[in-house]
Amino acid sequence: MKAFVKRPFVSHLLTSIGAMAIFELMTGPPGSSTTPTAGFTGSFGERASFFGLFATYRFVVFLALAVIVSGVWTLWQSRGSVIKHGVNTGLARPRAAWQLKPVRTGFFLALFIFALFLPHLETDPYWQSVMVEEIAVYVLLALGLNVVVGFAGLLDLGFVAFYAVGAYVTAWVTGALPTPAPFGIHLNAFFAIPIAIALVMIFGVLIGLPTLRLRGDYLAIVTLGFGEIVTIFANNQYGITGGSEGTNAIPHFSIHLWFIHYVWGLAPVPYYYLTLAFVVVFIIVFSLLEHSRVGRAWTAIREDEVAAESIGINPLKYKVMAFAIGAASAGFAGVVTAGQTIFVNPQSFTLPVSINILALVIFGGMGSIAGVVVGAVLIQTVSMYLLHSPPAGYQSSDLYIYLGAALVLMMIFRPAGLIPSRRRRREIGMAEAGEGHMDEVLTGDTP
Amino acid sequence: MTTDRIFTVENVTLRFGGVVSLNDVNLFQNRGEILAVIGPNGAGKTSLFNSLTGVYQPQEGEITFMGRDAKPMSIIGRKAHRVSSAGVARTFQASRMFSALTAFENVKIGAESHKGFGVVGAMLKGPRTRRNEKESDATTIRLMDFVGLRQKANVIAASLSYGDRRRLEIARGLATNPEVLLLDEPAAGTNPAEKLGLATLIRRVRDEMGVSILLIEHDMKLVMSLAERLYVLNFGSVIADGTPAEIRANPAVIEAYLGSSADETEELA
Amino acid sequence: MGAFGHYLSAHFATLRLEFWGLLVGGLANGFIYAMVAIGYTLVYGVLRLINFAHSEIFMSGGFASYFVMKAIIGTSVPSGLASVGLVILGILVGGTASAGMALLLERVAYRPLRKRHAPKLAYLISAIGASYFLFNLAGKEFGRYNLSIPSPYINHTVFTIFGANVQMYYIVILIAGVIMFVTLDRIVAKTKLGRSIRAVAQDAETASLMGVNIDRTIALTFIIGGIFGGAGGFLFGLGSGVVYTMGFTPALKAFTAAVLGGIGNLRGAVIGGLILGVAESFSIAFVQAAFIDVVAFAILLLILLFRPTGILGERLGRSA
Repeated sequence: MKAFVKRPFVSHLLTSIGAMAIFELMTGPPGSSTTPTAGFTGSFGERASFFGLFATYRFVVFLALAVIVSGVWTLWQSRGSVIKHGVNTGLARPRAAWQLKPVRTGFFLALFIFALFLPHLETDPYWQSVMVEEIAVYVLLALGLNVVVGFAGLLDLGFVAFYAVGAYVTAWVTGALPTPAPFGIHLNAFFAIPIAIALVMIFGVLIGLPTLRLRGDYLAIVTLGFGEIVTIFANNQYGITGGSEGTNAIPHFSIHLWFIHYVWGLAPVPYYYLTLAFVVVFIIVFSLLEHSRVGRAWTAIREDEVAAESIGINPLKYKVMAFAIGAASAGFAGVVTAGQTIFVNPQSFTLPVSINILALVIFGGMGSIAGVVVGAVLIQTVSMYLLHSPPAGYQSSDLYIYLGAALVLMMIFRPAGLIPSRRRRREIGMAEAGEGHMDEVLTGDTP
Repeated sequence: MTTDRIFTVENVTLRFGGVVSLNDVNLFQNRGEILAVIGPNGAGKTSLFNSLTGVYQPQEGEITFMGRDAKPMSIIGRKAHRVSSAGVARTFQASRMFSALTAFENVKIGAESHKGFGVVGAMLKGPRTRRNEKESDATTIRLMDFVGLRQKANVIAASLSYGDRRRLEIARGLATNPEVLLLDEPAAGTNPAEKLGLATLIRRVRDEMGVSILLIEHDMKLVMSLAERLYVLNFGSVIADGTPAEIRANPAVIEAYLGSSADETEELA
Repeated sequence: MGAFGHYLSAHFATLRLEFWGLLVGGLANGFIYAMVAIGYTLVYGVLRLINFAHSEIFMSGGFASYFVMKAIIGTSVPSGLASVGLVILGILVGGTASAGMALLLERVAYRPLRKRHAPKLAYLISAIGASYFLFNLAGKEFGRYNLSIPSPYINHTVFTIFGANVQMYYIVILIAGVIMFVTLDRIVAKTKLGRSIRAVAQDAETASLMGVNIDRTIALTFIIGGIFGGAGGFLFGLGSGVVYTMGFTPALKAFTAAVLGGIGNLRGAVIGGLILGVAESFSIAFVQAAFIDVVAFAILLLILLFRPTGILGERLGRSA
């Protein structure tokens, strides 16, 4: 019996059936507290059609799919190398081209030009505000977390705290919070930008100094805790933050300098261009950073902290720097959100948002700027599309089921991400081969 | 007249829970010397290194380092990266390179780490940053030439042979412009030809670059030919010190080694 | 200084007034934290890894026991021997469901990574992903409202200590906890399974060379941790109900308890849990309700910064 189960096709079939069952549940109708089995019976028993060919019960459809998938899988294992070889030779030229700097710059340039024209191509107002609020802002957030997780290798699960601080500081400085800003200033939202970013960076340094001494897994939990504390504080300090209602009195951005008079209004498109400009700036700065001595120091610390220390690199200094720089990007995202939506409340800054940003970075490729930009755009677009026109079996709260599954699957099949950073892929490969001392940061084992 | 001592270790005791790793150790190193520390496995040699570089903090005693600027500095209580900045470089028993980076990048990181800073400049590639990078590049090339790895500059460090890894670690350590280089079993895992090359290289480091050498090694032939003075550790205590000739004839040393492999005792004689 | 002194003395007065009540309640919570902490500490001992998804293992036990209790008890009010049987059933059901979930988790989210020798960061990310997947799926299938578990006993005040009421709930937790912890202690110290767990915790490579089946030992470790987590889920559910997000806060506190006692140390997990439960309870006299969770987090931060090895130190590898 055991031998039968161990035969490749059978074990693949069993795994596929299991995976399909889970997928059925994920995409099926929901249950509820009063009818907890409704989700299960519905997912398996509802009638559906097999790609429009014939109608039957869901579980039959998925069973058929499971058989097909395990067949392909078994075939792939025995004969797949030919296809893999073909794909690799086909991809060899593009891959080699990607290593060249002008090619990458060209890619980003093309992306930028496309982004410039996007508001004219997509004129649906819902989508236009989504482009700013959910996509461009999340690209900024992903870029920031990429510096922390991707460049410096620090697992920060409370990144949303920086986003929140950026937004709340903007509200504060523009006089929209119950507590007035010092000297009773009532700044214009646009000029709140440098102040918000500065304060967020200081906040990042303050949090980083005690916590970045901790080893990797403890750091993750502690940052998660700090994220929660910021949320609790925002929710409960009614007098300072407006409590759970927040505030909706933030003025729109406007500039009145010399001959420049411009007021951002309710329309999302001007905000889009402002955010896009900053995305470009952050991409350029972070790219320069990656290839500077700071980036090299981060790589050294990530690969082998003890060896890095032995040549004079102060790990705490560089880790705090990464925190502050990542925080700046998130802080700016907060300013944009505050200015464009003119309200902030604690519900927008919860732990699931941190996880969402993490998923973007991991999926796109941690440590790879191109990767996280593409990853963020892809996942956010898909999730917004699902929200806008949900197919049967999808409720808005299902998003995190898919994000969670994506994280697990990425770690199992492609930990370096969609568009991996060359160095990271090498490092992961080395760690898997037993080379190097990457894990010491995580487990705290000393020489 | 006191000789110019680069390291002075006085009454150092290091404990881990109930285990005494270093027991009232006294030693010193003169500037420009090639000094070796030998002893059976587990004698505390690497613990000594880790104490000298700020990785471990001994509970008792004093370690004083005298840099070129003739200001004595206490090592105990300092963090490892500060000790490195002061001029102490080291290699590790199992070569710890940044395995996913190229050989060139490994050494370059060492060269840059002691230069002055400018975060904003680093981000914006200002003129000072560009100058610093050119200097680091030049230093890296010079050192890779010195250790004989120029051809392999763009090889991923993980693909290098043991002997080459040792050389790379030495180059990286030298890139930090140190006054003393601590080598932890540089010949381990190398073949006789590589050992010879390493010995020549070590001597050149001292002769041509003026860097003092402190060496842990098990290969007796190598140690006896290189070292000008030795300390012998056993169970965390210094049991003998002196010139190679004195150590070879020392009965306590022979006794300590009789417990270990026959080859080592043979080589002693 | 005067105002602060006033604040302190007022709150200390409250503490003195409510002391025994807070102590009893705190110990009860502490036992639950200890049960969940055992899961963290066991997995850490053998894998050197924090199982971020343990919160969902806890949740599974809560939900499973809820359904069984609802089916059997419904709206009746059991008492006497029936109560004893039902409590034992609840613990068994919760423990089994959680053990199953723990095994599934190990198989799907961790084992593939272990086989590839993935860097430790991958395990953390996989665990977080699994956690988010599981509790959101539970929310989808079982609704997002708090459900109270029908009580298997009559929750009356059994006796009073110095004026503090000791309810049936607390007695149940105490007895269940003591039995389970003592049993585990004996298993780890005396049995072959316990020896293999300690061996793998100390040195996995050597253990496998000596014939210990690493995969099986790890699976059994997850199972034991799951049983305790599930029992904790049932007991927690009796007091606070079950809901899809129930795992997050108690698990975080249980993790704090594990670190407080010394991660990897079983007795430490119990001691840490009790201390944390009581400390949290006493702080009710000092801070407003919403900030109680911050107290546990503050304790975690302080321990990690100043004594990361915890009270008893890390020592699953050594013989208890």
